[in-house]
Amino acid sequence: MFRNTREGLALALPAAIFSTLLFLVPVGILLSEAFRFEGGWSLQGYIDFFATPLNRTVFLRTLKLGALVAGTAAVIGYAAAFCIVNLEPKSRGTVFGMIVLPLMISPVARTYAWIVILGRTGIVNETITGLGLSDTPLRLLFTETAVFLGLLQLFLPLMIISLVSAMENIPRDVIPAARVLGASWLAVFFKVILPLTKEGLVIGGTLVFTGSLTAYITPAILGGSKVLMLETLLYQRVNVSNDFVSASVIAMILIVMSFSANLLLKKIASARS
Amino acid sequence: MKTTLSRLALGCAAAALTTTAVQAQDKTLTISVYSFAQDEYKEALYDPFEEICGCDVIVETGNSVERMAKIEANAASPVIDMAVISTQDALALARKDLLAPIDSTRLSNFDKLYDSAKDPNGDGMAVGYTYYASSIVYRSDLVEIESWGDLLSDELAGEVALPNITGTQGPLTLMMLAEALGETGGYGPVISTIGEHSDDIVTFYSRSSELVQLMNQQEVIAAPVGKFAWGSFKEAALPFAWANPKEGQAGGMNVMIMTKDNGNEELAYQFMDYWLSTEVQTKVAEMQVDSPANKEVVVSDEIAENLTYGADVIDNLNIMPAADVLDQREAWVEQWNTEVIQ
Repeated sequence: MFRNTREGLALALPAAIFSTLLFLVPVGILLSEAFRFEGGWSLQGYIDFFATPLNRTVFLRTLKLGALVAGTAAVIGYAAAFCIVNLEPKSRGTVFGMIVLPLMISPVARTYAWIVILGRTGIVNETITGLGLSDTPLRLLFTETAVFLGLLQLFLPLMIISLVSAMENIPRDVIPAARVLGASWLAVFFKVILPLTKEGLVIGGTLVFTGSLTAYITPAILGGSKVLMLETLLYQRVNVSNDFVSASVIAMILIVMSFSANLLLKKIASARS
Repeated sequence: MKTTLSRLALGCAAAALTTTAVQAQDKTLTISVYSFAQDEYKEALYDPFEEICGCDVIVETGNSVERMAKIEANAASPVIDMAVISTQDALALARKDLLAPIDSTRLSNFDKLYDSAKDPNGDGMAVGYTYYASSIVYRSDLVEIESWGDLLSDELAGEVALPNITGTQGPLTLMMLAEALGETGGYGPVISTIGEHSDDIVTFYSRSSELVQLMNQQEVIAAPVGKFAWGSFKEAALPFAWANPKEGQAGGMNVMIMTKDNGNEELAYQFMDYWLSTEVQTKVAEMQVDSPANKEVVVSDEIAENLTYGADVIDNLNIMPAADVLDQREAWVEQWNTEVIQ
């Protein structure tokens, strides 16, 4: 395409300089703080972080909720994606548009909607008390359940989009052929659909898991200070304690968790094939 | 020759006048303030002051941590001339030797201040410009609040929000709960008691705006809050009331400080003095932005109801010494995280 590599490099140079100076260098400086201790290099920041029971609880809660949201999104996403790819092209576009639509609405608005839904006077509690299942409204807000629902609603479209793209590439006659040869639906899923859509699952899983780890607004609004996650803890460390070392440690942990999740999913996918 | 000299003199005079005018325009005062009510401050304080001093007021806003970090980062060559912050933040900056002592003789309105505002931290580095009371807002149709201890009563289990320990209201609530529970040996036992009731507390809020929403949505029916947020509750459709607990109200103060060696002390003093004047303090109070620290300010009963106003109220506030907060906050937060949040 280019007469020589210099032309290609010249075109890429502005973007490379921009990314290096305004992203990689500042992020590198910030993250290097996580390895500084009393003027030298050390892992003391990490030792101190994990020595605190609250930090361990928050870390495990973040990991648990991220995994739960990604897992649930995968289950719901596969069902939804399978339905969508088998729709008529005209209906498929409409349904797909409805799934993408929430992504165009601010996460703040979407999260606040959950406050109305899960509140003591919200539709869930009114239904529960109306049906006589409980005399008093249940405490749903400021619980892990609320954060889980908020995150799932926030990131489920990403999983569905990834899986729809992957499923559209499955040859049309593969699934009927498996059925004709006597495979149950469960066998079709695990032996045909899953191996052929593993790339979509890896992408969707990484997006949902990483999104859940790094979401701030939803845990902050629906969990409050009683359901702290790493991101809300990070905010607290910076804006309340002015503790940038601890904040850098949390940032590094989040990055490692995101990369690890991606590698793990890829490994699982490759092992299946 | 004479004509030439005259022209030269005229030219020099014109140049001198132009320079003076430019210098006047070049005079700037950089202040660091809380983000809220900036339109009101502009109208009542910044614009009139700019006219008086013939200078520009550059306003920097942000949360306390950001603003303090900026002052600290530019200590060698201050970019902020004066700031308004909490008493404990002022003490923290003073301990780092970042502040200039306040020379009260350069503030003509100093004697008009309530005594507790004249040197709140006892180090001569800050002067109070506004007070805030802190008490309990509650649903008067559902409950009666007579004591701070009611917040932890069985009757209100699952109906109360408390301020987080990391905010300004958190330590004040600890202080008043200690009073109600008869605890005299520090706030550790109070935090433990809150920890025992943690499941009964709906949430620990960080900002008063969060609490306004929680109470309007009927998630909670009682919570401690600063009087500065009372206006938001008064306008609500639900019947909210401001408690007068038998232990009294807690209180605090925000203060003015001046950065060390900023080189703009004269203009900073002029601005601080103007802010403390009866005229400005009255205007700001009537806008219901800040409660006055100037005891000559007179406002109507209707306005006063939304403010921390008058000698009777201010002299009876339970104000926590800034040093107590600063010295013990880290231990409180650690115990809070272990026994309450976890």
